[in-house]
Amino acid sequence: MTSPGPAIEWQTALGNAKLCLPPSHVIRDLLSTGVCVRCIFRLSGIHDRDCYISPINESELISFLEEQNEIECNSTTITNCCVCLGVLCPSCVVPEKSGADLRERSSVNELALLISDMVKGEQYQIDEFSLEVSLPPVITANERALRLYLKQKYEKEQWFKDTFLRVHISVKDTLKLVLNASLENYLAVQNVETLSSSFRIRLTYSHSETSQKLQSMLPNGHDSKKREKGSRENGSSKNCNEPDASAYRVLELIEDQNFCSQFQVPPGKVDKPCQLVVACCRTPTYIGGRYLKYSRNVSQSRWIIDDERMGETSVEEIIGENVRQICQGDGYKFHSAGREDIDVRMLGSGRPFLVEVSNSRIVPSSTEIEQISDKINHTDKQLVGVKNLKLVGAEAWDLMREGEAEKQKQYAALVWISRPLNVDDVCNLTSLKDMEISQKTPIRVLHRRSPLERSKVIHWMKIEKVEGTTQYFLLHLCTQAGTYIKEFVHGDLGRTHPSIGSILGCRAEILQLDVTDVKMDYFD
Amino acid sequence: MAENAERSEETLYKPSPKSIEREKQAMEEEPIEDLSSLLLPNLNDLPQNPPTAVEFNFSRYFLPDFTKPGHDQYIYRHANGLCVIGLAQAHVALKEEGGVTAVDFNVGKSDRSELKVTGKRKRNAQHFESNSALCKVCTNDNFYIVRCCVKGSLLEVNDRLIKQPGLLNSSADREGYVAIIMPKQGDWLKIKDSLLSYEDYVKLRGLL
Repeated sequence: MTSPGPAIEWQTALGNAKLCLPPSHVIRDLLSTGVCVRCIFRLSGIHDRDCYISPINESELISFLEEQNEIECNSTTITNCCVCLGVLCPSCVVPEKSGADLRERSSVNELALLISDMVKGEQYQIDEFSLEVSLPPVITANERALRLYLKQKYEKEQWFKDTFLRVHISVKDTLKLVLNASLENYLAVQNVETLSSSFRIRLTYSHSETSQKLQSMLPNGHDSKKREKGSRENGSSKNCNEPDASAYRVLELIEDQNFCSQFQVPPGKVDKPCQLVVACCRTPTYIGGRYLKYSRNVSQSRWIIDDERMGETSVEEIIGENVRQICQGDGYKFHSAGREDIDVRMLGSGRPFLVEVSNSRIVPSSTEIEQISDKINHTDKQLVGVKNLKLVGAEAWDLMREGEAEKQKQYAALVWISRPLNVDDVCNLTSLKDMEISQKTPIRVLHRRSPLERSKVIHWMKIEKVEGTTQYFLLHLCTQAGTYIKEFVHGDLGRTHPSIGSILGCRAEILQLDVTDVKMDYFD
Repeated sequence: MAENAERSEETLYKPSPKSIEREKQAMEEEPIEDLSSLLLPNLNDLPQNPPTAVEFNFSRYFLPDFTKPGHDQYIYRHANGLCVIGLAQAHVALKEEGGVTAVDFNVGKSDRSELKVTGKRKRNAQHFESNSALCKVCTNDNFYIVRCCVKGSLLEVNDRLIKQPGLLNSSADREGYVAIIMPKQGDWLKIKDSLLSYEDYVKLRGLL
């Protein structure tokens, strides 16, 4: 919103800026070419924000330079600057989201207001933000065209030789300079320059009219025809990320001479300003911990075949959904350090896992983390439990994967053998340390895994007798990650050897399996 | 490749509702400390003779007199569609004096034990018809051809039989299996109804 109040500030700012500006005949030339006041300021290297937010128009600028009169407050009259295509004249920008009506936005504050309304509307809780600006490549071409024009016309003049064009500020940086302070004001949080904030506000500008022209003008004749077709079909430039990157590359490589023959120098006027799409998003939030699975009818991940769900529910859904809900995110991804079968319980230390929440509206504090924990651990059916739940950084993913193959796992299996267990059997099994076994890919997974023979290590085994039986016992064992325990017990038709059966010289079957420990330093 | 419905990879014996209750109670009282009590089974749930891994994870089918009298073979079909082929209990070779003495996979146009199937997609797997020969089983006086029984890709032959042909005498129904074949869903359905169940086979041959 403009107000006559700060006129004094602007006058001082403009007064100081005058030193940087080129002579008035040049300014007249630029203005008549269709360059907006703000572009003139930034090409002259003016860093003072007050200059940019002053609502000075073309004629006022001229009179200010030539006669030093009082400045009146009027809105600018150049719409659709031929260089920045309206990006720096917020009165020209037409946010797509506002629908059909083209509301007059008389200052950068209104754009900032629109953005902050969107952030608040989505109920994001933020400490800071980063502004990302995406401009169409045609603006770079326009800049270059203008520079070449100025060079051709004025390079003999003194003011040009001194510093001009070496000090210019890019459209992007100018926009950020102008917008950040207003956004900080409305959002009441700090801006973080280097995109290291987790909360990103993305402004995507597009100008289909000139972008299409640019594509067709670029040297890759046949490619540009394809792109032209594509953009004609869609109209928006959102599908032009690849062409954008290649457009920049080509522009960099083109020599000045070549450039001048292809492009209009200085850049031509345009009918319409840029279109703007505002989007805001948070980078993924990670919550990690260990889970326990108490049920023998819950799969680890969502398992649906032919529209029929296998098992009652899944660990992924129980944990992931609760985390997502409390973080108010759009979706979740569940990762874990290994997995167990649907009918195998995960007890003891629990298995490390990570939930990645996309676009969470809040970053959970320890209170919210506790809430998630309670919710999962105190449901009616205790199917799954979590412990050591906490907010972690993106590096947690790598930490979890790292050395996964080396980690040892501990199990308890309920085993039956075809004859009574005797003392020698117990000695036999417990004396085996770091025993190597060879496992052909188990038949039960052979349909989807490569047929290989894998060597695994059984580190140790302990026998716990089951009172009242002679042929049943609990086998506690510690093995290398990736060992198929069930097959180690029953032998998988001899494809795993040695096996419990082959070692004891009888038939062995497994009735139940539980994971009792997953040794991992992280997530403890 | 048969993208079959995967009912379960291998589910184990399920405890009774009573013991599930007991487990739950134990967990509510002292979840972490009583790990050992969680692990111990309820004696009432333990059968004298639990189902074998084969019984539990496969559906057993039998083909008596396949292509020739007395050439009884079995197909164990896993829920994932894979079929384990072998000699059924009453196969003539197993009745001979001295039993099986040698097994040779070099039959038909190639040595079946030389095949190398790689990758998830099971490339290089040879396709066979149901009456293609898998191997030759030799006894003191005779030899018998073992066939595929179902049309499909041959994934693996039990090459342990080469060095230990005696496996057929001691455990033809387990470690003495002959091969693993992956049929297409359609090819399996074609033969399914002509196969005998375990109970029917036992009755037919008067076993047990």
